[in-house]
Amino acid sequence: MKQFLSYLFPEQSSEVILMIAIILTSLSVVSAILFAVRKIKPELNITEIINRTKSWWIMVTIFICAIFINNTVAYVCLAVLSFFAFRELYSVLHFRQSDRNGLFVALLAIPIQYTLAYFTWYGGYIIFIPVIMFLLLPPILVLKQDTHRITKSMAMLQWSLMLSVFGLSHLAFLLSMPDIEGYSSGGRGLLLFLVFLTEINDVMQFVWGKTLGKHKILPNVSPNKTWEGFIGGAISTTIIGYFIGFLTPLSTPQLIFTSALIAVFGFAGDVVLSAVKRDKGIKDMSDTIPGHGGIFDRIDSLSFTAPAFFHLMYFLVYPPFPSFDEIWKNLF
Amino acid sequence: MEKPFLKSRCLKVIYKGICRPILKYFVGVQYPDCSFLKDEKQFVIIANHNSHLDTLSLLTSLPGDILWKVRPVAAQDYFGNTKLKAKLSNFFINTLLINRRPKKEDGKSNALDKMIEAIDDGYSLILFPEGSRGEPEQLSKMKSGIARLLSQRPNLKYVPVFMTGMGTSLPKGGVVVLPYNATLHFGKPTLPESDDSYAIMDQIEKTFADMVEKYGVKEEEDDD
Repeated sequence: MKQFLSYLFPEQSSEVILMIAIILTSLSVVSAILFAVRKIKPELNITEIINRTKSWWIMVTIFICAIFINNTVAYVCLAVLSFFAFRELYSVLHFRQSDRNGLFVALLAIPIQYTLAYFTWYGGYIIFIPVIMFLLLPPILVLKQDTHRITKSMAMLQWSLMLSVFGLSHLAFLLSMPDIEGYSSGGRGLLLFLVFLTEINDVMQFVWGKTLGKHKILPNVSPNKTWEGFIGGAISTTIIGYFIGFLTPLSTPQLIFTSALIAVFGFAGDVVLSAVKRDKGIKDMSDTIPGHGGIFDRIDSLSFTAPAFFHLMYFLVYPPFPSFDEIWKNLF
Repeated sequence: MEKPFLKSRCLKVIYKGICRPILKYFVGVQYPDCSFLKDEKQFVIIANHNSHLDTLSLLTSLPGDILWKVRPVAAQDYFGNTKLKAKLSNFFINTLLINRRPKKEDGKSNALDKMIEAIDDGYSLILFPEGSRGEPEQLSKMKSGIARLLSQRPNLKYVPVFMTGMGTSLPKGGVVVLPYNATLHFGKPTLPESDDSYAIMDQIEKTFADMVEKYGVKEEEDDD
């Protein structure tokens, strides 16, 4: 399988190939177990888990193809993911009719933000949404001269843009990370590490909560979340993070800290979006992914872990990024 | 009634092949499973109307093989004001044009007769009883034409469809489509319980009131 994968993804380091092989193998094992359980004990109701696993196959396949086959395609796919996520978020939040112009401008921010990530212009990329869009969007809303509940619209628009576009675009900037000596996987390795660990954290918290969960952690937000799920999930995630550390250039203490941080921020993202759903009186953000709900039901944790992980990496490992002048010179 | 070879294939390609992927992935329309409509020989779809996207989303949600015999009822003064427009909308949207505001001297509107004629020919219809596109997320008063149609053809089933978000995506007077997770909610094909048009109207209004309650976008109350 490794040889086949190396043939499929010639640009990738052997660590990334190994990780992809691990993911595909573990999914196959889970599917085989579920298949066996259904054959042996058909009375057990595991349809939901089977549907979820099927969706995992599709998501994993799309993700691997999108990110690892071609570099430029990866940026475009992540931008499309941001677009779906942003659209889902503002559809759920119910903006006013007079906010349409603001939403159009906010949508235009997606290609710009991902282009900045593509050209590795860190300075522009890091201020574009938090500063430029922050200053640009409220005046556009004001131009309509409809002040009823405009404060809420201004706040919601900036918040959804931060979460779904700024947050997720850190995944794209990870791809632009410069090479550092003695570490061959590069940004792809980090991206794979982050996404795998975030998703496995979701799964682990779910599994621990289902098996051992007793003490509710936030009963008024998400009745299914328990202390046992959170702590068990965080510990498992940290252990798994330690073992897939070969994808990163981190030392062991750094690795443990990073993995634990991903677990905590993943949980935070999960409950924040749960609270929003509860406020809006909905169970799922949409019905795009069978068994999971909407796009944001799956990537809620990722929108929190991505910026946290990125800035930790930037702080721990990476030298300062090139300035605008250097990028400009390299272009021509 | 014979299946028109060219038209049925054209409609299938246009709606299922081109329009549906655009609506689904770019605009973000969420389609329910509508395969149950394949088992219905004839029906009238009754839907709320907020946007030009309504007709398009309804047509793209239908099974491709029955598209050619489903005719959206449209206003003559809007879609048929020129010969070319009428021809084009007849071929590509399969419209049944009715006179929504009859001239005073003509007296009666021909709308009901035309619809009954189409039903007797074997067509299914898409009808927006509100008459015109109202304010987004608001159901205006339904006109009684649908009830009179159902009372005259008591074996005809109606399918209530409630759509949300279409008016936000493309409101009346809007030029550009805003990507938006608009949703279609299909009710079950239902026979009218009575042959009295007032009772039928009540039944339809109740169905829609229930759907608004269940799926409708709730207006937030003011806190201050």
